[in-house]
Amino acid sequence: MTVDERLTHARWTEALRDGRLLGQRCSECDTVTATPEAACPACGARGLETIDLPTSGIVHTATTIEVSPTEFDAGYRVAVIDLETDGGARVTARLEGEASIGDRVELTDVLEVRETVPVFS
Amino acid sequence: MEGASVVGVGMTDFGVHDQPLPELFADAAFEAMDDAGADADVIDAFYLGNAMGGQTESDTHLAPTLASHIGLAGIPCSRFEDACATSSNAFKHAVEAVRAGTHDVVLVGGVERCTPSTGLETPEMTAIFASASHRQYEQPTGLTFPGVFGLLTTRHMHEHGTTEEHLAEIAVKNHANGTLNSRAQFGKETTVEAVLDSPVVASPFRLLDCCPFSDGASAVVVANAAGASTLTGDPVTVAGVGHATDVIPLAEKADLTATQSARDAASQAYEQAGIGPADVDVVELHDCFTGAEVLAIEALGLVEDGEGGPASARGETALDGRIPVNPSGGLKAKGHPIGATGAAQIVELVEHLRGEAGERQVEDASTGLAHNLGGDAGTTIVSILEVAR
Repeated sequence: MTVDERLTHARWTEALRDGRLLGQRCSECDTVTATPEAACPACGARGLETIDLPTSGIVHTATTIEVSPTEFDAGYRVAVIDLETDGGARVTARLEGEASIGDRVELTDVLEVRETVPVFS
Repeated sequence: MEGASVVGVGMTDFGVHDQPLPELFADAAFEAMDDAGADADVIDAFYLGNAMGGQTESDTHLAPTLASHIGLAGIPCSRFEDACATSSNAFKHAVEAVRAGTHDVVLVGGVERCTPSTGLETPEMTAIFASASHRQYEQPTGLTFPGVFGLLTTRHMHEHGTTEEHLAEIAVKNHANGTLNSRAQFGKETTVEAVLDSPVVASPFRLLDCCPFSDGASAVVVANAAGASTLTGDPVTVAGVGHATDVIPLAEKADLTATQSARDAASQAYEQAGIGPADVDVVELHDCFTGAEVLAIEALGLVEDGEGGPASARGETALDGRIPVNPSGGLKAKGHPIGATGAAQIVELVEHLRGEAGERQVEDASTGLAHNLGGDAGTTIVSILEVAR
C-alpha cells in the first residue's frame, strides 16, 4: 500500500462526519484498529487495508467525568466501545444515555471540540 | 558490565512551593549531593525529569538551566519526558550510563510544580495533564487522567468484582502511612466513609481516591564502583531496572486491566535482579488513583490477578502487612509533582534499605521495588534496589 492510500486523520474525520467509522485491517496478522495508524500496532506491518467498521458496538468500559478540562462542561460520559470485529477493534467515544458495560450502543453523532470524535448512544 | 548504586538521596517536602523551579530543585539536589559526599566537580552528568514545564511555566531547556543554578554547568545535561514516569526514565538512563562506564557519577533529578502556585487552576491543569492522552482520538472526547484510570478500573470492577469500598481502603491505608512521613502533602488520616462521601471526580473515583496536585523536587546520586569509591554516602545496590511501553490510545490495548507495560517492565527487572515478587520486602508504586494501585500490585505479581481489591482491604499491603506498599503514603498522600515522583520513590526505598525511614520503617527490608507509570500505563519503569553486600 502506498503512502497516498494510507488512512489519515483527515480522511477518518471526513468519514466520521458522514456517519462512517473507518478502520484498518493488518494484512499480516489481521489485527483491526479503529483509529488510523501508519503501521500495525500488534506486528509492525505497514500493509493496512482501510475498512468500514460497524457503527454499532458493545460498551467495554465507561467513566463519568465530573471534573473537566477547559473547553468541556463537566457531567459527561466517555467510553471504550468494542466494535465486535474479528481482530478486536475498539474506539474511545462520548457516550450519551445510561448504557453500561455489556450494553449495545449505536454511533449517533459526532462531537467537535478542536477535533471530531464519535458519539454513541 | 559494572554494577550501579545509589549513593545519595534528597527531596523537598511535597505540597505547595511558591519558588522558581531552579530554586526548588536546588533544595533536593544539594541534599542528595551532600548525602553522597559529592561535590559539584565529581558529578559527570545530570539527567533531569520534568514533564510539563513548557506548558505550566513557559520554561524549557531546563536541564542546563537547573545545572547552572547548582554549579554543574558544562557537563552533559539531558531532560527526560515520559508523563508521570519522567524521572524514573532519567534514573534508568543514569544506571545504564554508569554500568557502561560512560559516566562514573550521575545526578538524577526531578522537579515539577502543579499547584495553583503556577497561576493555573484545576481546569487548566486538568487540560495540561490530559495532554498525555492521544491528541486526536482521546483528548477531544473530554477524557481526563482520572477518567483514563476510571476506564481501566471500571473494567477491572466488572471483570473481578472490585468494589468502591476496596478502592477506599487503599486511600485509607496510604493516608495512614502519610501521617508518618513529614514530607507528605497530606498528614492526616481518612476513613472509608469519608472517601465514599467525597465528590466524584471521574467514576469510580471520588476526590479522596485521587492524588493531589503537588509541587516538589527529588534527586539521587547514581554511581558505578569507581565513582562510589570517591564518595562517602552509604550505597544501595541497583539490582535491576525494567522499562516497557504499551499501545496508545488505550482503546487499542489488548487488555485494559493488565497494564501490560508494568508486567513487561517487572519481568525485566526481576530477571536482572535474579529474584521474584515473593523476594520483595517493600514497594513504592504509582497510585495516582486508588484503582491504579490495584492494577499495579497485580501486574507486579504481588497478588493474583483479580485479587488486588480484596487483598488491599484485608491489609496485605499495609505497613505491617505481608508486603508493605507505599509506606511513604504514595502519590495519594505524599503527593505527585509529576517529574519528581519517580526519583522520590527511589529516595523512599533507599531510606528503608538503609534503615533510616523512622516511624514508617519496614523492618529488616533488604529488597525494595519501585513502579512508576506514565500516561495510561503507555510507559512503566520498574526498579529493584537491594542492600549493598
